[in-house]
Amino acid sequence: MQYPGGATPALDAVDLDIAPGTSVAVMGASGSGKTTLLHCLAGILRPTAGSVTFASGSGPVDVATLGDDARARLRREELGFVFQQGLLLGELTALENVAVARMLGGVPRAQAEAEAAQWLTHLGLAGMEQRRLGELSGGQAQRVAIARAQVTGARLIFADEPTGALDSTTSEEVLDLLLAAVAAGRTLVVVTHDADVARRCARTVVLRDGRVVSDTALAAAAGGAATPGEVAR
Amino acid sequence: MNAAVPGARPTGALVTAVRLAPLFARRRDGDRLALWLPVVSFAVVTALLELVAGGAQAFFRWDDDLASTYQTLAVIALVLLLVPLGTVGASAARLAARRRDERLSSLRLLGATTGTVTTLTVLEAAATAFVGALAGTLLYGVTAPLLGLLQFRGEALGAQVWVPWWWLPLAVAVVTLLAAASAVAGLRAVVVTPLGVRTRQRPGTAHWVRVVIAGAVLLAGLGLMQLLGVLGQMGGIVAIVGALAASFGAMLLALDALGPWFVRVRARRQARKAATVPRLLAARMILEDPKATWRQVSGVAMTSFVGVFGAVGLAMANLSATEDMAADERWLMHDISTGVLVTVAGSFLMVACSVGINQAAATLDRAAVHVSLDRLGVPRTVMAEASRRSVMSALWMVAGGSALCAAVLLFPLVGFAIFVQPIAVATALAVFAAGFGAVRGAAALSARLVPGILARPERVL
Repeated sequence: MQYPGGATPALDAVDLDIAPGTSVAVMGASGSGKTTLLHCLAGILRPTAGSVTFASGSGPVDVATLGDDARARLRREELGFVFQQGLLLGELTALENVAVARMLGGVPRAQAEAEAAQWLTHLGLAGMEQRRLGELSGGQAQRVAIARAQVTGARLIFADEPTGALDSTTSEEVLDLLLAAVAAGRTLVVVTHDADVARRCARTVVLRDGRVVSDTALAAAAGGAATPGEVAR
Repeated sequence: MNAAVPGARPTGALVTAVRLAPLFARRRDGDRLALWLPVVSFAVVTALLELVAGGAQAFFRWDDDLASTYQTLAVIALVLLLVPLGTVGASAARLAARRRDERLSSLRLLGATTGTVTTLTVLEAAATAFVGALAGTLLYGVTAPLLGLLQFRGEALGAQVWVPWWWLPLAVAVVTLLAAASAVAGLRAVVVTPLGVRTRQRPGTAHWVRVVIAGAVLLAGLGLMQLLGVLGQMGGIVAIVGALAASFGAMLLALDALGPWFVRVRARRQARKAATVPRLLAARMILEDPKATWRQVSGVAMTSFVGVFGAVGLAMANLSATEDMAADERWLMHDISTGVLVTVAGSFLMVACSVGINQAAATLDRAAVHVSLDRLGVPRTVMAEASRRSVMSALWMVAGGSALCAAVLLFPLVGFAIFVQPIAVATALAVFAAGFGAVRGAAALSARLVPGILARPERVL
């Protein structure tokens, strides 16, 4: 993956196979290519070379060859996103923010709101459905984002520094919820600087200058595993 | 803690701001649109101001018997156009101020005093407005001949629309000073801290008390109308004209008091019933600040109101016109009709400008949201439609509501006018339709900014 005008590739010779129902942490220093990798995997960016194969509900698709609209549809219907800032709409209530994800898929509003309410209750936000973004704490806003990422039935969730703006206790709670989604059969790819977050994921991939320099899955297969804290250093 | 640098001498806010201003003037790599949009906005404001002034002063070159009637009507039209013109000016100033927010907090972080930040803001606003006003004067030079094609008393206005030369620097000075004043006022509404810029208060929520006030004002206006006969007997024509003017003013005040409240009530209902994402978003966008939504389109409220009054009055006057009516009086009837249509068209044009500027500013402000939604896979058309709906929904309510308000006041006469003067009514409707089209086009323009934002998401996230 090469950005226009970039002197060096943002990603180079990255070869990953992510199994369904697992959690993968992507670590690395700033500028190492973590977010670029996530964007390529999620179809936000189209890699300049190579392929990204996603096992969608209708069979495998090469995300890298899809057009803009098809990739947008894929993100909307089959992927879930939780980012540092939550990416919630400030004008909408918590309930509406979650329901909108279903409404965009053509689900009637009443049904979308009923499903959204169930998810908010499940994630501990019962009674806060009508609150707006400004009336929620950082942790509560992330719970809304997690609800929105799952309400569509997405099987793969991408999280970019989901605990980056949270205190340690709230971070733990948010991570618990994300890993609960994995326990329920979803796949989680999380970009993080936090070694504690990575430690709780089943697999850690470390990038440096756009290349994979460590992968706990490969290390385990080879018989020796490095801890995320060690490789991050 | 005193962190004075040895050898450094304290400087005043103005000196510091003047030293910093050139640095800020050549910043913003790639963000040219944000820089040029306020300039273009001020150019449009200045050109419109000069065109309106040119059109109005043309009537003051006449000195025959009917001249005073034309001049009175010109002043009324001028007053009606000043409201939307003021809205465009305020929008341009707000847009210019918004573009500075991020840098203001960075300056505070670097240790700049409030005085330096304020002075820099005012200097930049004034410079932006000055450049825009100069460009606007050129625009006036290009468009004034088109205004001169308008016919009154059977002749084109022609060269009469050119204002005296010294009005032009005066207009540039007025626009520049107003922009500077608006920048100061804008800064009063925000708190600039090293950690960011935040507003001092929540957006207005349009309280129901407005309805009570509007009701009282409306009743007072209606009461005055009922007393016209008595006032005529007591004070003659002067008293009648005074009462009519006061009544007219009361109606407009009532409209302005009621407007935001109606906008809010309607948007809440729309938010409850919205079945699609764009409709839901549009309603919620309006509810964020009903007063701002009202301000954006309120210029049309006044002219729609007057438009109905004018159209019905003309229909009645035409009915009573007789063969032996003087040619001048016939021209007056025709010219009032032209004047009403030009005023309505002018106000729509200004609302379109205001909407274009506001929506562009909102799109730039919400750049991060656009990028975020795109990443989530939300179709680009969703936000564009929501944004357009938030304007058009309010416009329909405002223009329709005001026209209905006037129609209720003139109830039996309106139906009669439609029957006896269908062509005049159709012409008025065509002007309204064109006006709606212009505003819709302006609202849709902001969507063209989105691809540019999405092409370089790293600039906003």
